[in-house]
Amino acid sequence: MTADQIKKGDNAQIEVLVPSELTLHLMEMGFLPGKKIKMLQQAPLEGPMAFKLENSVIALRKSEAQLIRVLLDH
Amino acid sequence: MSEVSTPIKTSSFSVALIGNPNVGKTTIFNRLTGLRQKVGNYPGVTVDKRFGQVQINKESVTLIDLPGAYSIYPNSEDEIIVHRVLNGLDEENQPDFVLAVVDMSSMERGLFLVTQVMDLELPMAVILNMEDTAEEQGIVIKTHQLYKSLGIPIIQSNARSNKGIKSIEGLIGQKLFETPKPFLNTEGLLPASLADTICKEFNLKNSYQAFQLIRFQENETILRKYQKDFINEKVAAANFDIKEAQLKETNLRYEGIQEILAKCTEKNDVKTKILAHKLDRVFLHKIGGYFIFLGILLLIFQAIFAWSTLPMDLIDGFFASLSSGVSNILPAGVLTDLIVEGIIPGIGGVLIFIPQIALLFGFLAILEDTGYMSRVVFLMDRLMRPFGLNGKSMVPLISSVACAIPGIMAARNIGNWKDRITTIMVAPLMSCSARLPVYVILIGLAVPDQYVGPFNLQAVALLGMYLLGVIAVLLTSILLKLILKSKEKSYLMLEMPLYRLPRWKDVIITMYSKSKTFVVAAGKIILAISVILWVLASYGPPSKMEAAVSSIEVPEANASPEDMDSYNSDLSSAKLENSYIGIAGKFIEPAIRPLGYDWKIGIALITSFAAREVFVSTIATLYSVGGDAEDEMTIKEKLNQEIDPDTGEKVFNVATAFSLIVFYAFAMQCMSTLAVVYRETKGWKWPVIQTVYMTTLAYVSAWAVYQLLS
Repeated sequence: MTADQIKKGDNAQIEVLVPSELTLHLMEMGFLPGKKIKMLQQAPLEGPMAFKLENSVIALRKSEAQLIRVLLDH
Repeated sequence: MSEVSTPIKTSSFSVALIGNPNVGKTTIFNRLTGLRQKVGNYPGVTVDKRFGQVQINKESVTLIDLPGAYSIYPNSEDEIIVHRVLNGLDEENQPDFVLAVVDMSSMERGLFLVTQVMDLELPMAVILNMEDTAEEQGIVIKTHQLYKSLGIPIIQSNARSNKGIKSIEGLIGQKLFETPKPFLNTEGLLPASLADTICKEFNLKNSYQAFQLIRFQENETILRKYQKDFINEKVAAANFDIKEAQLKETNLRYEGIQEILAKCTEKNDVKTKILAHKLDRVFLHKIGGYFIFLGILLLIFQAIFAWSTLPMDLIDGFFASLSSGVSNILPAGVLTDLIVEGIIPGIGGVLIFIPQIALLFGFLAILEDTGYMSRVVFLMDRLMRPFGLNGKSMVPLISSVACAIPGIMAARNIGNWKDRITTIMVAPLMSCSARLPVYVILIGLAVPDQYVGPFNLQAVALLGMYLLGVIAVLLTSILLKLILKSKEKSYLMLEMPLYRLPRWKDVIITMYSKSKTFVVAAGKIILAISVILWVLASYGPPSKMEAAVSSIEVPEANASPEDMDSYNSDLSSAKLENSYIGIAGKFIEPAIRPLGYDWKIGIALITSFAAREVFVSTIATLYSVGGDAEDEMTIKEKLNQEIDPDTGEKVFNVATAFSLIVFYAFAMQCMSTLAVVYRETKGWKWPVIQTVYMTTLAYVSAWAVYQLLS
């Protein structure tokens, strides 16, 4: 699954980034394979999503979150 | 236009501050420089160059605050600057030393940028900032170990509480910067022969610089075409895939950093409930979050309107009395007239915007500093998308309700070119405070002062004008979305920093530097146009002018003050009528007839180009109201009585008044806005397009309104 499908409050681990023009940018922001992320908030009408990544919170649109493949924590 | 040209390097050395956004880089810069800051330009971009000169150890040091960046690979205009300056492509701004600021609680990401700079082999030092946050999260950095691993001096600080600032000063003063060994073996990334060729051709120091140049030459505007062709040719010959190499570099870099951090950091398990996440549950609430945002907006506008009235009146009054004072001192003559009627009011017209600009930017700085601004972007992004705007457009548009000038200046934070241009283009359509006096008079003429239920009709009409502005903004944005083509893909990747209390000193520095930028940059153009308009309004063809003046009966020597007043106002209205502007007003009369305007309104339209509120004083002069031009009641009464000599009907009937209201809602009649758009887009293309578009929109809408109502 990809990060846009994570439910609010759920944790996941980044598996791999889907190759795209934004891959490098996502990596620079710290979205790296193996990192844990947590979905904190989502704006209404499928708006941006806020993810906790290490010690920071980063907002992505759904289209950017789709570029991050994740494994959900159980 | 360069407002403050970059000073010739008089200082003994320069230090550039770099770092990720939100790491406290600007706080450190403010602590070190205080108010000794200047704003200048980098060639070819709209990013402001912030620098300041300080004396440390009897040496003058130029500190340059580079924009926040996550890597030296540019993703936005801000990052292009960092890339250029560090690669030495911008020779004039090349720093001698680099001071990198890293957030201690986000070491991995911070070191990403630091190690890139290391590979450029620049003498540097690192500041580990935000000790407090790291401490709360149980992060301990073994500084000495880190120093040994990286080979560059390291200082811990907490700039918000002033901790470590003295050490930073000491480090700069004693030039304790060190040139590290490259962090990555970049030679493995790029074929050696290719690196050599590029380095020789462009006089670069090492293969990492060559690597960077190959990667970004395409968008590098300061390279010439033959230089780009040279690079492309060599890259093709070497069969080198730069994008793949860059991905490889990024992976290797992170691996190296993680290895070092494993040795140099300890994470104590502290069970911290992070306050920011709790606050976000309130501020980002699906419904409540929007109400809070609305509430904050109302509060800000209330404050701006309430607090700026007094200083604006004072500035207005000061320049009015300065004018009359100077005219009493200087001998009467053309030069005195120019100073008293052209230059002084022109300067006043610039300075009067300062209270609103300073206050608005003060509030924006507080919102930014507390971390709330990124939450606004989060909340609004989805709602703005259908209109081709983005979450970051919200602040400029809201600011434009006070005044489009700070609004357009605030559009700088938008990284995406298309979104930014769209925001700048539509911002002046929001109903700004300068339209208010015009609306008040015209609505007073056109709408009866009656109540329907609890609602006053005039108030409803005024609210309608604000709504009309918003509708124009949204429709124009959709239009631009269809027209503007952009290669850049729109995306949102926004760090939402922790909530913090604002630092008042930094807020004040922002207010001061934004006001200064406005006065220096837009001021020149506004002043020039005011003087030109004054000349055109004061002079006309001599023969016509004399005939007009002599046709007015001069009152006798012992005439009553009332007679003198009426003579004076008759005289000035006759002069205006026969001035070049008056002639222009008559010239455009056929064009504005279909809108329901006569040549007198035509004159007001032309003089309003300086600023919309000039409408009131021009109309006052034209209809010879005399006395206090600011007295809206007298003007309104006078206008109500004005009869068209040809038709015998009221000039300001309902159709004409509404047509004028709509014209003023849409027309580009603010040279300050034009000057700022020119400055922000670095050229006349966008201001010209904007003026043509808005004027056409105004003309067509006003025509439609007049034809419907008459």
